[in-house]
Amino acid sequence: MAPRYPEAFVHEKPEWTVWNRIADFLYFGLGNLRKHLSIALLDMGGIAILWILTSYVIIRLSTGEIGYTLVPWWAFGLGVAEAAALWESFGRSFGHRVARVELRRVDGGDPALHQRFAYWLLWHVSVLPLVGLLFSPPLHERASGLALRPFTMEGRTPKPWWRTSTGIYVAWLMGVALLAAISVTISWEDLVRLFTRAGTTAKFWRSFFSPDTSIILKTVRALIVTVFMAMTATAFAVMVAVPLSFLAARNLMRGLIGRSIYTVIRVTMSIIRSIEPVVWAIFFLVWVRVELAPFAGMLALFVHSVSDLTKLYAERLESIDPGLIEAITATGANRLQVLRYAVIPQIVNPYISFTLYRWDINIRMATVVGVVGGGGIGQALFFYLKGNLWTQAGTVMLFIIALVWAIDYLSARLRAKLA
Amino acid sequence: MAEPYLVVEHLTKVYERGHVVALKDVSFEVQKGEFLVIIGLSGSGKSTLLRCINRLIEPTKGRIFIDGVEITRLSPRQMRRFRRKIGMIFQHFNLIKRATVMTNVLTGRLGYNPTWKTLLGLFPRSDRELALRNLERVGLLEKAYVRADELSGGQQQRVGIARALMQQPELLLADEPVSALDPATSHSVMQYIEQMNREDGVTVLASLHFLSLARRYGTRIIALKDGELVFDGAPEEIDDRKFKEIYGEEAEEVEIR
Amino acid sequence: MTIYSTFKTDPARLRRRLLALLLDWMSWGYVAYGVMYFLNDYWWRIPLERFYTTLTLPPWGWPAAVLGTLAMAILCELTGYSLGERALKLEVKEERPLTKEEFLMGRAAGKPFWRTQWGVMAVLLLALTVALGWHIVKIDLEALFRPSRRAREMLGEIFPPDFRYFLVPDPAFELRGVPYSILNLMVITVFMALLATVLGAAVALPLSFFGARNIMGFSPVGWLVYGVVRGFFNVFRSIETMLWAVVFAIWIRWGSPLAGIMALTIHTIAALGKLYSEQVEGIDPGPVEAVVAAGGSRLEVIRYAVLPQVVPSFWAFTLYRWDINVRMSTVIALVGGGGIGDMLFYYKNEGEWALLGAVVATIVAVVWAMDYLSGRLRERIV
Repeated sequence: MAPRYPEAFVHEKPEWTVWNRIADFLYFGLGNLRKHLSIALLDMGGIAILWILTSYVIIRLSTGEIGYTLVPWWAFGLGVAEAAALWESFGRSFGHRVARVELRRVDGGDPALHQRFAYWLLWHVSVLPLVGLLFSPPLHERASGLALRPFTMEGRTPKPWWRTSTGIYVAWLMGVALLAAISVTISWEDLVRLFTRAGTTAKFWRSFFSPDTSIILKTVRALIVTVFMAMTATAFAVMVAVPLSFLAARNLMRGLIGRSIYTVIRVTMSIIRSIEPVVWAIFFLVWVRVELAPFAGMLALFVHSVSDLTKLYAERLESIDPGLIEAITATGANRLQVLRYAVIPQIVNPYISFTLYRWDINIRMATVVGVVGGGGIGQALFFYLKGNLWTQAGTVMLFIIALVWAIDYLSARLRAKLA
Repeated sequence: MAEPYLVVEHLTKVYERGHVVALKDVSFEVQKGEFLVIIGLSGSGKSTLLRCINRLIEPTKGRIFIDGVEITRLSPRQMRRFRRKIGMIFQHFNLIKRATVMTNVLTGRLGYNPTWKTLLGLFPRSDRELALRNLERVGLLEKAYVRADELSGGQQQRVGIARALMQQPELLLADEPVSALDPATSHSVMQYIEQMNREDGVTVLASLHFLSLARRYGTRIIALKDGELVFDGAPEEIDDRKFKEIYGEEAEEVEIR
Repeated sequence: MTIYSTFKTDPARLRRRLLALLLDWMSWGYVAYGVMYFLNDYWWRIPLERFYTTLTLPPWGWPAAVLGTLAMAILCELTGYSLGERALKLEVKEERPLTKEEFLMGRAAGKPFWRTQWGVMAVLLLALTVALGWHIVKIDLEALFRPSRRAREMLGEIFPPDFRYFLVPDPAFELRGVPYSILNLMVITVFMALLATVLGAAVALPLSFFGARNIMGFSPVGWLVYGVVRGFFNVFRSIETMLWAVVFAIWIRWGSPLAGIMALTIHTIAALGKLYSEQVEGIDPGPVEAVVAAGGSRLEVIRYAVLPQVVPSFWAFTLYRWDINVRMSTVIALVGGGGIGDMLFYYKNEGEWALLGAVVATIVAVVWAMDYLSGRLRERIV
């Protein structure tokens, strides 16, 4: 069966070359592959997670050890694949629900049991080795007379969630996940301490009302260092992130080269962003000399800010109004002029607003980065904590709270003005 | 008959490997000085057709000649130079909202000025004078230094017209210029376009939603339905039957004044 | 030059004028601080102490600085369009029609900013900030581009990371006598984030209705409850998770995952509560009117008119928070909160760079996956 072309293309068939046929095969075949594979992977992944969590809870509660499967790994793999096949053939699976499709007969009716059975059997030779998916429609669908069709509620009565397989699945998953989480992170002694030892923090709170005045000047100086760390980090990050954001915006980077630059930048940035500034600070404290603590902290904030700002900026660029670009292009303007008159006016305010937001975050982060030795007020806090100097630590915390609150307020006010 | 100003031959545009067909083999000719109105339902390909003519959208197949030049063969660079002669106004005005009216109007001269100067926002004195003259023409002289987003819809569209006038165009493409406006403002905007057509001899291609507006302003009408040309003729020729054919059986003509 | 000869007594305007003066005063104060910093830094003190000498002044210095900056601020206010006036948009327009030339060349739109007083001041402040930042943060480009020998060692070892202890527990690393593998600790970390998010959302959900103006009504009790709940959200939100972790680590036990969970939960309640209640305040009042008109009670209004409108964004915020919590939980061990961070900082202290690399790589993979997952789900919901 030929793919379903719109009318226009059926008329133009004679003009089509072999290359067009190959390109067409790839386009529709890869589309199929992507659709079926993502559904299958979602189902298998979902079942695997459920299995692992359930085993985790059983092992944890019965032996107190940590383990992930009750059976050998090969049995686990086979079981997951088989369960996914059954779920997809005899019900509306999690993957189907995510893709908003369901299994129907080609003529639109409800699938008969023998058809579902055939679908299930053929699933193993079509989906598992992937070859069947390159055909359009895929082999197992063709042979069983079933197809994945967009799901509609038309003519159905909605079922309550606990009677759908996905509903049961999600509820079970949540249940075991919470059970596993509680069993592994919370111990009885800790809970008892939580409810009986609140008094240990009293010395802390007391210092909030009677701060140690002898360290105020020192604390203010450390605070200034923290503020400047955040400010310089943000400023330098903006200088790097603004040009990068243009290279990381999908709508501006077209073509093969453009797309590869886009992908490389986006992936790098998301990796950098996944590492907390604290970890970056550890790295930079080794990189530059330890005496340059604020500089190392600043570099940590800088690296994290660059990746975060690039993402925020690029997303903003991706959502600019294409109408203005059209209008300026239509006047005969070249690329640079379009950039200057159609793109930049749309992004200036959001960029400033994002920068302020990031500055706000950087102030918070700068206090945290200090704790690993990144300079500023965080370092002072850690120093007092290590020395069990609770009053002084409480005083420093009081200052941190005041600073963060003030900056938060300021940046929110300024951003409200910009919007 | 004289050599036609604009010739569109077998224009076809498909998106996504044939999943969406926007234009199907559309051919027509336009004489210099005509006011051609394109009508049709939303999604019938009106916008695509207009954008193919200044190649904001690349046609899949077919040829377009303007003034004897086959613009579908021009290189991107040549096309940019050619676009200076083609003004365009838009349904949603597409103005730089945060900039002044003056800046918006001056962008019409971008194609005529060296890049480095325009990047710094420097436009020659003659351009600024022209901008003020054009603003006076659309009745917005005193708003020259007001931010564009502070204007009403009708005023914004008039700024769009002034921007198109700055290009001193031979051809004006108007993509649903009044759809976002109320009826009273619509007429005032249409009259400015008509004035360009009559006084400056600009050939106008306008897509319109309402047949009554098309009848009132157009010297000729073409109709698109699902990307196909279904009508080409004088405004009077559209009777009830033709109307139903273009807009579908349930349509009812609405008078707008 | 504009001289203010008349002083309007309009109170709102007076307040703004005072605010503008305060802003100018503050910016001159900042300039004075910068000048003092550099004077201290270069002439008066030996370099090692520079950090702690920024505010050293002779006895007469303080009053001199305060009065001098005030004088400068007043002078700026009187002689033109100062920065404070610009910020508060207190412009005094010249009362004369523009000449044709001015209109044509765009004088009406104003002078270029670098020729105005506020513009010069802004540029000055910016330059001062950069210069001060450079010194206070001790920026040293040489150190950045010529790393130490230790750094080169670290780079040599960290690639490739050593995944030896990914599945097998590292016998050298023990928490309360039990050795852990990277995988086991990572799972615990993710569970910490999960519990904190679920607990936080469960508490924030009912609280958020008490922190919504439109639900609480305008009775005195309503005002009181609203004020208390909103105040709680604001105060607790501005205290960083890390600080909460310190408190709970002292309270419960240093390194207990429960301390981390409690810290994350508290911050989650406050942050989510604020977002939730803002969302509740932003609902379309139409359905509420409809349910009230049909005779619904306040609970029924919430169930049938408010909840359906806010549930999607509640999910989106919760997923967003989950994402943040996963990130935070990886490093909360630094202040005694437990989780994979314990291992991270252990390897860092031991200088086991290859093993540290494996831990960081695992964190990156998990955080990245959670980020992607929550991003996709949020796209789906909104």
